[in-house]
Amino acid sequence: MYLALGLLGLTLAAGIFYKVSAGRGRSIQKSEVIDLSRIGAHKNGSPVSKPGKSATLLLFSTEYCGQCPGVRRSLTQIEKGSAGVLQAEVDLTDRLDLAARFNISQTPTVFILNALGELTFRVSGVPKQGLIQQELTKLGIK
Amino acid sequence: MSAELIDPRGPRFGAAITSALSLAAFGIAVSAPEGFSAAYPLIVLLAVLFSWSVFSPKTHPYGLVFKKLVRPRLSAPSELEDSRPPQFAQKVGLGFALLGLVGFWFAPVLVAVSAGFIFFAAFLNAFFNFCLGCQMYLGLKRFGIVS
Repeated sequence: MYLALGLLGLTLAAGIFYKVSAGRGRSIQKSEVIDLSRIGAHKNGSPVSKPGKSATLLLFSTEYCGQCPGVRRSLTQIEKGSAGVLQAEVDLTDRLDLAARFNISQTPTVFILNALGELTFRVSGVPKQGLIQQELTKLGIK
Repeated sequence: MSAELIDPRGPRFGAAITSALSLAAFGIAVSAPEGFSAAYPLIVLLAVLFSWSVFSPKTHPYGLVFKKLVRPRLSAPSELEDSRPPQFAQKVGLGFALLGLVGFWFAPVLVAVSAGFIFFAAFLNAFFNFCLGCQMYLGLKRFGIVS
């Protein structure tokens, strides 16, 4: 009985921890330039080679990712609303080498690249409401 | 493979029932750790339900109950979801249920372990909309645990 209550409590704690911590993201200090064509980034089926003029929102998905379509939609909306922002996507289903290289263990994962194509911010899980917009503002994009 | 789109609340409804069944199985299994208990038929039932959703999701009783009784009382879904992630999660659930079945003969502690894991994953799915199996898919693949 106590063990069952303990399990229930543990599961509740894990769920609350997930709700609070998921999608917060972190800034990357020592950043690297990400070569979009080498990692097979695409947009609506056509390959993307150059980063956006002011920033790039890079979504990593897999074919099993249930929450990726929703994130894709919200990133596309941000792209439409801000000048020079490009949204692109990488499907990791057959590119596990990339998952290992960028240390991605869950999808969706979103990378924000600055105008030079350098990784400046990354989020694992569905980004919290307004987070991406806020980070773009930090890069000086309205 | 063409992706089928489903109402995401369907799998969550099923997960709520699964979590109730597996919590009962866990509670019984830990209070009667040796020999046969009511946890055994519950694990068998869970294994049957998971196999059912892996092999014939369209005829699954959870889905039919959801469609007949629950869905008409809800508003239209805000978005539809790919059916493959929850399908993958059902396979993970089946794997754990099979682990519990093995436990009947070899190590009764596995019955409680299996029910505990199933509860943990199903409860997070039902009440926090967090699909553990779907989230872990990439991680498991990276370490070569699933192909």
